[in-house]
Amino acid sequence: MTTTPYVSRIDRRTTLAWLGGAAVAGLSGGAAATVIAAPDIGGYGTDPKLTHPLAAPWPRLMTPAQLQTAALLCDFILPASADAPAATALGVPDFIDEWISAPYPDQVRDRPVILAGLTWVEDEAQRRYQTDLLHLARNDRTALLTRLTKKPSDPPMAMPYAFFRTFRSLTVGAYYTTRPGFKDVGYHGNVTLASYPGPSDAVKAHLDRELKKLGL
Amino acid sequence: MTEPYDVIIVGSGAGGGMSAYTLTQAGLKVLILEAGRNYDPATETPMFNIPSEAPLRGTSTPDKPFGFYDATIDGGWNVPNEPYTIAEGSEPFMWWRPRMLGGRTNHWGRISLRFGPLDFKPRSRDGLGQDWPITYDELAPWYDKVERLIGVTGRAQGLPNTPDSPEGCLQPPPTPRAYEQFVTRGFNGLGIPVAAMHAAVLTQPLNGRAACFYATACGRGCSIRANFQSTTVLLPPAMATGYLEIRANALVYQVDLDRAGKAKGVAFVDRITGEHHSVAARAVVLAAGACESARILLNSKSAAFPDGLCNAHGMVGRYLMDSVGASASGQFPALENLPPTNDDGMSVGHIYVPWWGYEKQSRKELPFPRGYHIEMGGGRSMPSMSLGAMLSRTDDLSVGAALREDARRIYGSSIGFAGRGEMIPNEDCYTDLDPQVKDKWGIPVLRFHWKWSEHETNQAAHMVKTFLEVIDRLGGTPVPGYQTDGKKAISRGGEIIHEVGTVRMGQSPKDSVVNAYGQSWAVSNLFVTDGAVLVSSPDKNPTLSILALAWRSADHLASLARRGDL
Repeated sequence: MTTTPYVSRIDRRTTLAWLGGAAVAGLSGGAAATVIAAPDIGGYGTDPKLTHPLAAPWPRLMTPAQLQTAALLCDFILPASADAPAATALGVPDFIDEWISAPYPDQVRDRPVILAGLTWVEDEAQRRYQTDLLHLARNDRTALLTRLTKKPSDPPMAMPYAFFRTFRSLTVGAYYTTRPGFKDVGYHGNVTLASYPGPSDAVKAHLDRELKKLGL
Repeated sequence: MTEPYDVIIVGSGAGGGMSAYTLTQAGLKVLILEAGRNYDPATETPMFNIPSEAPLRGTSTPDKPFGFYDATIDGGWNVPNEPYTIAEGSEPFMWWRPRMLGGRTNHWGRISLRFGPLDFKPRSRDGLGQDWPITYDELAPWYDKVERLIGVTGRAQGLPNTPDSPEGCLQPPPTPRAYEQFVTRGFNGLGIPVAAMHAAVLTQPLNGRAACFYATACGRGCSIRANFQSTTVLLPPAMATGYLEIRANALVYQVDLDRAGKAKGVAFVDRITGEHHSVAARAVVLAAGACESARILLNSKSAAFPDGLCNAHGMVGRYLMDSVGASASGQFPALENLPPTNDDGMSVGHIYVPWWGYEKQSRKELPFPRGYHIEMGGGRSMPSMSLGAMLSRTDDLSVGAALREDARRIYGSSIGFAGRGEMIPNEDCYTDLDPQVKDKWGIPVLRFHWKWSEHETNQAAHMVKTFLEVIDRLGGTPVPGYQTDGKKAISRGGEIIHEVGTVRMGQSPKDSVVNAYGQSWAVSNLFVTDGAVLVSSPDKNPTLSILALAWRSADHLASLARRGDL
C-alpha cells in the first residue's frame, strides 16, 4: 500500500475548462396532468460527440484532501497485482470525483454518501491513531479499512459500511471498464472477427461437465 | 426539385425510410421532413469505444438513458422543448423519441420476428381485440421482400404461429454463445423449444454492405452498415435515385387540406430557427411514429374535422398498445470460471424462446389469453459499471487478490431474462391532446392515458415464474430485485418502446381510421405507414412488420399515382 501522495491524473487545463462549463436551468410545470419535460441540469447534454467524447463538463467537488483519502481507499480495494495495475494507476480516484460531482440524480444520490464516508475514515484515523490515513502505518491502515468490509452488528458502523459498499462498487466498475481491467477480468471481445466461432472445445467440455451434474 | 412534390413523408425511420425507398424507386418526387437533425452513421458511430473513454464510464443518465454510446440523439424519455403529459389517475406511460435522421432504427434491438397467422386474427382466435383487414398470407410476400433487402438471420424451425421464411430469405444465424447453449438445455429440460434469433444483422455481405465483424454493440449504430438502420439501408438508395430531398429539423404539426378535402401539404416548424413553413404535395405519408402521427392528425383541425383530421369517430389516438415486459436475472455457478472466450457475437442474442403455450391457451389452461417470447442477455460482454453492483451481493466485501478472483469468477456467470408479450387493446389506453400544455413552439402536446388489464399483469407474472423455473433448473440463484406479483413485475406503458395502434387499419371506416393499405378513409391522398396502423400488438417486436406494411402501402400509393388516382 502506498504512502506517496496521490497525484491527480487530470491536468490543470482540463480542470479550468470544467470551472467555466456548468449551467443550471429550472423545471417546467403546471396543468392537472403530470408534465414530462426535459430539464437542462448541466450535464453533457443530449447530443454529445460519441466517437471522441469530451471530458465530463461539470466542476469537480472533492478537495485535494478528499481525493487523497479516496486514492488510499481505491488502492486498498484494488492494489497492484503481479499482472495488473493498482486502481490509482488507472485514475479511479478522479473517476469517483467525476461521478460524485455529476449533476444527474443517481450520482447526486451517491454524493453525500461518499463525501461523508471519506470524512468518517479520516476522523476515525485521527480518533484511533492521531494521524491522517496517508501517514498511518501500513498495518494500522489495513486494520482500520478492513473493519469496513464486514457487515456490522453495531449500528454506528452501518453508515461507514454502506459508504464502503458504494465506494467499492464504483471502484470495481471504474477499474474493470478500462483496457487493463478488461485484461484482468478476462474480457476478450471488441476485436473484429471474420466469423463468429462460438465457444471453444474447452468451454464446451466445461459446460458439458456442469450440465451433466445438473442432469441436463 | 420544386413544389408541389409528389409525396411528402413525415419521418425517416422504419415507416418513413421504407416509404421513401419504395416511392423514389417508382420515380415519384419525394420530400422527407425529419424532426431531428441530420445524422451520418459512417462518421458518428462510436465503433470500438470503451466505457473509460466516456463520461461516467458510459453509464446511463437522463441525457442518454440507454448509456452514453447509445445512438439516440436529442431524445430518450424526454425530448428538449417537447414535453408530454400523463393524465390524472393514469398509470405511468413513457414515450421514447429520438430527434435524428433514421429515428429509432439507429439504436433499435434488431429483433425481427414475423407476426404469425393467428396474430392477424386475434378476435377470431379468442374473442378479444380486433381482427386485421389482412391475413398473414397477404403480408407474407412483403416480409420476404423486407428480409431479402435488410438482411435478417434465422432458420426455419416449424414452430406454431412462428412463420418460417421461404428458402433464400434469411441469413445463417451465428452459433449460440456458451451461455446460450447452456440456457437452451435448461429450457429444453422444461419442454420449451428454443429458436435461432431473427435479427436484422448481416452474417454474410449483402448489396454492398459488409457482414458483421462481431464487435461494437448494435445499439450504437453501425458504421460498416452490417445491421439495419434506415440511414444505412433505405435512405442511401432512395437518395441515389435523385428523387429524394430530406429536410432535417422540420417538426411537422399539421396536415393542410384543399377545398375539395384532400391533403395539399403539411405545416412544420423549423426546430432551430423557430420559423413556420408550409410545403405542398400531391400526397402525404405520416410516419412520425405511432404517437407523433396521431398528434399531427389531432392537431389538424378544420371545419370539416373539428376534433382532428380523420377523427370523426373519435378513433385517432385510441387502441394505443405497447408490449408487455417483465424481467429477472440469475447467477449460475455452472458458468463460473468458464475459460475466457470472446462472447461479443452480434450483440443481440443469438437465440430466443418463441411462445410455446398456444395449445394450453386454446384449452383455456392459462390465466392470460396471449403469448410472449423470451429474450436473453449474458456472457462475457464488455464490462460496464454494473460489474460493481454484481460484485456487491455478499455481506462481506472482498478486496485485493480475493476481489480480483471474485471478479474473474462472477464475470460472465449471470443471465438476464426478459419477456415480451402481447397486449390486448383496451378502452383505458389512448392518447389525446392536452388541453393546456404546449411545446416550445405553441403546439398542443400529447396526453397519455394508461391502464394494464389482467390479461397483461397475469402474463407478466407467468413470465417471471418461467424465468425462476429455468434459473432453478440450471442450478442458479435469482438476483434480488425481481417481482412475482404481475402488477409489480410488469413494465410501464411505453417502456418497451413498441407503442403502436393509434391510427389503426380496418375493413371499414366505422372501426378504423385507415384501410388495409394505410390509406385514410376520410382523405384519400393521406397515408400512414408507421406502427400507428397496427391492429394488434403481438409479442413479436413490431419493426419488421412496420417495414413490410410500409412497403405494401407505399407500393399501393405508387400504383395509384401511376393511374392518376391520387
